[in-house]
Amino acid sequence: MIIAERKPMEEIKQMIAPYNKLLVAGCGTCVTVCWVGGEKEVGILASQLRLARSAEGNEISTLEATVERQCEKEMTAELKDKVAEVEAVLSLACGSGVQTMAELFEDKPIFPAVNTTFIGMPEKEGLWVEMCGACGDCFLDRTGGICPMVRCAKGLLNGPCGGTRKGGKCEIDPEKDCAWEIIYRWLEKQGRLDLMRKYYEPKNYRAVKRPGKVQAMQA
Amino acid sequence: MNKEIVAFCCEHSAYPAADLAGKQRLCYPQNLRIIRVPCAGRIDAIHILKAFEKGAAAVLVLGCEDGACHHITGNTRAKERVKYSEMLLKEVGIDNRPVGMFNLAPNEPHKFIRVLNEMNKRIKESREAK
Amino acid sequence: METKIGVFICNCGGSIKNINFDAAREKVAKIPSVTCVNLSSNLCLGEGKEKMLSYIKEENIERVVVAACSPELKEHIFRQVLEGAGLNGHFFSMANIREQCSWAHEGDVTVKAVELIKMAVNRIRLLQPVEKKELSVNKEVLVVGGGFPAISSALQFSRIGLRTTLLEKKPNLGGKLREIEGFYSLETSSMIGAVEEDENIEILTSTEVVGVEGKIGDFTVRIRKGAEEILRNFGAIVFATGYETEVSPQDFQLKLGINIISQERLAQMLQASSVERKPESVGFIYDVSDENSRLPTLATLNNALTLKERWGSEVYVFCKNVKVDSEGVEKLYREVREHGVMFLKFDEKPRISAEDGRVKIEAKDILLGEDVTLTCDLLVAEEKLVPAEETEALSTLLNIRTDSRGFYQDENVHLYPVSSERGGIFFIGGCRSDLDFQRALVDVSSVVMGVYKLLSPGKILVEAERVKVDRQKCRTCLTCIRVCPHSAIQLVRVDNEKEVAEISDLACDGCGICAAICPAKAINFEGYSDEQIVAQIEAIGAS
Repeated sequence: MIIAERKPMEEIKQMIAPYNKLLVAGCGTCVTVCWVGGEKEVGILASQLRLARSAEGNEISTLEATVERQCEKEMTAELKDKVAEVEAVLSLACGSGVQTMAELFEDKPIFPAVNTTFIGMPEKEGLWVEMCGACGDCFLDRTGGICPMVRCAKGLLNGPCGGTRKGGKCEIDPEKDCAWEIIYRWLEKQGRLDLMRKYYEPKNYRAVKRPGKVQAMQA
Repeated sequence: MNKEIVAFCCEHSAYPAADLAGKQRLCYPQNLRIIRVPCAGRIDAIHILKAFEKGAAAVLVLGCEDGACHHITGNTRAKERVKYSEMLLKEVGIDNRPVGMFNLAPNEPHKFIRVLNEMNKRIKESREAK
Repeated sequence: METKIGVFICNCGGSIKNINFDAAREKVAKIPSVTCVNLSSNLCLGEGKEKMLSYIKEENIERVVVAACSPELKEHIFRQVLEGAGLNGHFFSMANIREQCSWAHEGDVTVKAVELIKMAVNRIRLLQPVEKKELSVNKEVLVVGGGFPAISSALQFSRIGLRTTLLEKKPNLGGKLREIEGFYSLETSSMIGAVEEDENIEILTSTEVVGVEGKIGDFTVRIRKGAEEILRNFGAIVFATGYETEVSPQDFQLKLGINIISQERLAQMLQASSVERKPESVGFIYDVSDENSRLPTLATLNNALTLKERWGSEVYVFCKNVKVDSEGVEKLYREVREHGVMFLKFDEKPRISAEDGRVKIEAKDILLGEDVTLTCDLLVAEEKLVPAEETEALSTLLNIRTDSRGFYQDENVHLYPVSSERGGIFFIGGCRSDLDFQRALVDVSSVVMGVYKLLSPGKILVEAERVKVDRQKCRTCLTCIRVCPHSAIQLVRVDNEKEVAEISDLACDGCGICAAICPAKAINFEGYSDEQIVAQIEAIGAS
């Protein structure tokens, strides 16, 4: 799912500096699951901001709300009344959620409190790693199930760089496994090692026109 | 409030230790307010932040000793969360509100008192530094 | 609708001396929702409780705050009074104005006492009722293991009417029984015969546990025998998977062979009807790499005695200490010495080498203060006690932690010795620690009592949904399931679609770790919810 990271506090404080009445809005989907923008984090951020203002001798009044999915207009529209009461909104949703809010409430400044970073999964408790680069041209079929574009430090598409360290570690990041080493081993297990000999043309990064559009065929 | 220490005490360790301090008539300053919790692991950053929002002079989280948590990981989690809370406070420029996590056994009333004295000292130091 | 809160203040038989009770009563009566304040001097005793009961009924009190001693002492008593008055026992909160107020401070503490009462009142306004529910449990027990503790507990479970399945990985039962039966006058074959004949005990050998799902009272265990896997259901599981001994070759720079043997090999040789050649001198050594030498001491003393009696060889024991803290071992030690076995205590590691086909040991005897060199025909090498081979794999499977030596959870003082962090799963015997026989017997008795109490009624009374997941808010992030130390949370499917987390009332031990970590704030811990905690904070200094 989408993984995000809270922005540095300095940035957030600067964004909301001119405002004294704020809605801190969370999202109950991806950012909740990666512990960054759910109801719990909304509470903590709002509390921090109140403490910060109070320490400066000022005040800030905050409303807190979390909708199930901020990138769904119907769900975010539920915040209409709260948004009307405030001067600005600090959203902890991913970029998609922030922009949905902006579309619904054109006249209110909607600020992003998190940086949307990547598509990933939890490797262990509290640690999320990038898995997919959303390139729009998936070739996991021929790499045994690992994406070298994202998980190889150099993004190589046709085999390892030759600098793999002992123990199968990456030349650039010794903590990382060499993606191509794993691709080789998994293709071997799958009996498809012949794929390693095939040459693949450079990727067409224009496969995704910006902004991307996907039209479902079903009705 | 403005001079009180809010102490979240785990019912397996710190709460009975505080009781024992009372039974043994070991006296300490009146500014302590104990909130009983089933495990230090129940406490999260939000409780600590809210205590400071309401004006607490310091916040304490007290749990079982390492390796002796009835709920195995409660005390270690609490410790991490207290560290996290310190970071959250520092992020918004607040570094004069003492918060700490301490571990003790239910039969250590003297340690309980030492911890309180330490916190009161920190409060005094941070207020004088202003 | 405003709730009616009754506050009962007790001076604990006059032992609270530094509170002005009349002033306190006046202040407390002014707190919103408090409809009556009552002073007493012995609230927890018969008369006091009766008065409390009648007040609750007469004044139609709905929730009760008691300001008195520590809730650790009398909370359950007061909850019973509430239930007697027809109120839910959870509409109750205590203010500790004695141990944590009156007795802990010098001077007048009326102000703090009133504040503590306000904290309790703030909390009680938000409390919700919690009902009790009876859940039925499966009365069958699974005992995993085949040694003495496993066999002994299976026999005792059967005697108290619990059907037991005894599951052993090896093809035969017995474990280490045959090694130790001589020491304790046990008869392995008759014990095994007893379990085989017992109608209440089912024996599965060459069988392994490969999965455990579910919770106390209702475990689904996946069992594998050969290529076949079946599912069985049990109410409680007792693991008695034992320990192993390991000889540490690196300490000797020599390998086990003809002249350096293990205790097990020696025991076999001693049990054999005849032996090729009787060794003229035998040495035992332990305490070199591992100071947990209770069981090695026992093995050494017992084997040394047998050796003397059977072969008449010269026997030397090299050690740091003779650990005699088990029942009867002081006497054994004296007997062994009276038979002429010599003990040499060292501090520095002895040097061991081969010489002319015999074993040479060079050590500094700390009592003599001199270096001593002895050459023996046979050396019985030090054994370290290690967890049985499958312990680590099993602990991962069960999601149960092992201690720093790899044994099951022996170091946590808050867990009763045979319990684990998962309710209904117990560990006894050598898999817990290096227990001697007497201690293993205590383990067996403890677990039999524990399981009996748990399963024999056939049902358990639990507090229903005291910690509860709000299905609408649950985001199925799996965080709570992963962090619960008691493995009490599982995924369930609702409405044939969504999967959400569900907390088992039986397995939940009420720590609140899940409630704290849930990123969607979907878990409500009744009595310790965020609102109920913050409400107490808000009452501080609010005068």
